[in-house]
Amino acid sequence: MPAHAKQRLSEKLRAEQLGVGIGERWFCRGLEQTFEAGQIWGVLGANGTGKTTLLHTLAGLRQPQQGQLWIDGQPLTQLDSKNRARQIGVLLQEATPAFPASVREVALQGRYPHLSPWQWETPADIEHVEKALLQVGLAELGDRDQQLLSGGERQRLKIASLLVQQPQLWLLDEPTNHLDLHHQVGLLHQLCAQVREQQQLLIMSLHDLNLAARFCDYLILMHLDGTIQAGPAVQLLTEAVLSRLYGHPIRQVIDRGQSIFIPL
Amino acid sequence: MSLPLSIPLRVKMFGLLLLALGLISFLISLGVGSFSISWQTLGSLLIQQDPSIERSVVMELRLPRALSAMVVGGQLALAGCLMQALLRNPLADPYVLGVSGGASVAALLAIMFGLGGFWVSGSALLGALLNMLVVFGLVQRSGRWSSGRLLLTGIVIASGWGAMVSFLIAISDGAGLKGMLFWLMGDFSHSGYPGWNSAWLGLGLLLSMAAARPLNILVRGELQARALGVNPQPLQISLYLLTSLLTASAVTQAGSIGFLGLVVPHLVRIVIGSDHRWLLPCSVIAGAVLLLLADTLARTLIAPQQLPVGVITALLGVPLFLILLNRDNRGSL
Amino acid sequence: MGPVIPLSLCAYIQFALILAVLSAFQPTIAKAEIQVVDDMRTTLTLAVPAQRIISLAPHLTELLFSAGAGDKVVGVVSYSDYPAAATRIPIIGSYERFDLEQILALKPDLIVGWKSGNPQAALAQIKQLGIPIYLTEPRNFADIASNLERIGTLAGTSTVSNAAAATFRQEIAQLQIRYQDSPKVTVFYQVWKEPLMTFNGDHLFNQILQVCGGRNLFVDLPRLASPIDLEAVLKADPEVLIVGESNRDWLSDWRRWSSLKAVKKARLHALNQDVLVRPTLRIIEGVRQVCAVLQPQ
Repeated sequence: MPAHAKQRLSEKLRAEQLGVGIGERWFCRGLEQTFEAGQIWGVLGANGTGKTTLLHTLAGLRQPQQGQLWIDGQPLTQLDSKNRARQIGVLLQEATPAFPASVREVALQGRYPHLSPWQWETPADIEHVEKALLQVGLAELGDRDQQLLSGGERQRLKIASLLVQQPQLWLLDEPTNHLDLHHQVGLLHQLCAQVREQQQLLIMSLHDLNLAARFCDYLILMHLDGTIQAGPAVQLLTEAVLSRLYGHPIRQVIDRGQSIFIPL
Repeated sequence: MSLPLSIPLRVKMFGLLLLALGLISFLISLGVGSFSISWQTLGSLLIQQDPSIERSVVMELRLPRALSAMVVGGQLALAGCLMQALLRNPLADPYVLGVSGGASVAALLAIMFGLGGFWVSGSALLGALLNMLVVFGLVQRSGRWSSGRLLLTGIVIASGWGAMVSFLIAISDGAGLKGMLFWLMGDFSHSGYPGWNSAWLGLGLLLSMAAARPLNILVRGELQARALGVNPQPLQISLYLLTSLLTASAVTQAGSIGFLGLVVPHLVRIVIGSDHRWLLPCSVIAGAVLLLLADTLARTLIAPQQLPVGVITALLGVPLFLILLNRDNRGSL
Repeated sequence: MGPVIPLSLCAYIQFALILAVLSAFQPTIAKAEIQVVDDMRTTLTLAVPAQRIISLAPHLTELLFSAGAGDKVVGVVSYSDYPAAATRIPIIGSYERFDLEQILALKPDLIVGWKSGNPQAALAQIKQLGIPIYLTEPRNFADIASNLERIGTLAGTSTVSNAAAATFRQEIAQLQIRYQDSPKVTVFYQVWKEPLMTFNGDHLFNQILQVCGGRNLFVDLPRLASPIDLEAVLKADPEVLIVGESNRDWLSDWRRWSSLKAVKKARLHALNQDVLVRPTLRIIEGVRQVCAVLQPQ
């Protein structure tokens, strides 16, 4: 291992001079950031600032325009796709499914990275699925056709699939989309608890400032002018910074020890 | 070593049902025809070796025709299933990339020049392969491989072939014209044993079954597939090639038979869902049975007159598809 | 008194003068108009015999030449290959698709068409253009002879055409007498191979079979030429099998079926199809060939 890249034991993901963009458009340049085990990161920014692109790049689904990514001390590019899928789980903003399939079948697909080509699914895999469905509240809908699910149910199915996939690194693109309030809070609570407990890593993009404030320890802010700020949430969650981030005045109110952010 | 997961009961029962239907259809197709052969005679014919004309009719006319129909039906259903999965589109059929167009132009040219059966089939195969070269070559050239690009290129080339077919029909007349129309609508009346084509079907089924699980995931989208560890490109390219070869083989044997590749996968999906591990083999069997029945009808419905089998598949396929479209709950359309 | 003209001569001269004046204003009806009824019961009227004739079917070209009007034919359709002189006449298309503009350019005064073979829309257009069109639809020998005579009338070659028609009728009658007591033989005529096709009972070919004691096994098919099941032919088991000369190689396919009567007795024949299916004078030759094949003794 090169001398300058001393890996701390707790380092899960490291971005080195990372440049993310699409063609001529750059969303971030020269990002140097270490993400450590047990951390919960939020990615905030207005629409079009590249949150999805950043997440896809961190997940290895996009080539960075510049720089390198290291996962558990290994260059991300050196991992083959199945290996990568064992370690990294991505929640995508997916289109409506084209063909029918049961909820259970879709959730089961999360086991794919762990199975060799000719290996059948085991009862243990089935158990994972049942547990995951229970966790997201879809246990009674196991046999329902995915094309007949509501937006919220489909979102929860994606999360269940990720739970079944058991990654070390969770990259979630707007996980709270379509979800009812109590699911939003409940699921994030469960995921964050699991990540902290098992010393995994969670990076998620969020629209809801208050959820970010409540659940994230660290934040990446993608500003409208293309700059990036990254660091502990407590430091970055100020009226000035957030107003600049969204291009709209935001007021912070503290109520019973909890910060609440309100757009003016 | 892990325990094998049991195949769902529904799938097992459906599979058995299909096999039973297949056997019955096969026997029926051997027993009916203009040359009436009683069922008792049929039994003894199959067992004994005496060279009577009845035996010739069964062994040299009906048997190869039945086997060919089953092989072609299986090939078209498999190709249709794969194409729908690859293009993530329930309306896809095996001909969407122009394979049957290229084969048609070549076959019609052979008919126009008065060449006989073997030349027509051979030309059809060459035409199909030529089409594959053109379509895949154009996409490769552009450097930007994607399903969408392949589909668009295929559709345009297919239209081109279609125009040429119209042209060839316009400048032909007489009995040659009749021959062309029969070929275009699908015709088993002069088919021999399927031979190598059965090997294509078997190989195709094996390869696609090996790709069944990643295919299940690929159907959800390329990005999602990559997120789960599937490499879309090599999978797609090899399956597109396989599908084109299966379609080429089918069209070479019997002309362009429509609707089968489109409708059969949907029919099977209704019963056993979209898991390609069972969907692919069940589609093959269902396709084989349906085409066998359609061909038997085509040669007996208005006997002694003959109908091209494509007419029967269209007549059956259109109402079936409309019924599928109008189903209340479950359906991919 | 001077020379005296008798009163009757005077009247006569006056009458003649009046006639002469009157006749100057009347059209000369020196020859009779030509009026002919075609096979569609339409009456055609020509003022003078046709001098520029266009034929819309190969068999009609033959008939025109047989009627002695060959030198008046200015346009033909493809496959007008008999007699040899016909091949030098400009072609205006095929019997299914011909060029109306070329037809007009040739300035015909008579067009001879084939009712069931030519496209109806084109025939209607020709009528609309006002060109006299004579439609034929010969279904038996009598029709052939009668068409020959009528075409001769239209072309002003009646002497030739009537004689040819008479000879034709005589020869047919002789053949009919010669073979009238012949034993019946079942026949299958293969029109096409892929798909397998044959004629039904309406086709002219059946007339030939009738003379020679032959019986078409598929008289009841709905259309003139239909695709048919091989098994049906095997079941019907014809005694004689005929194909066109240019399709001689089809016969080897039939030899596979060794139990067929026609194969066992080696009665598989390839005959010149032009003399078998074209409604022309050469059909006599067709009758002779078929009778020779059906009744070898």
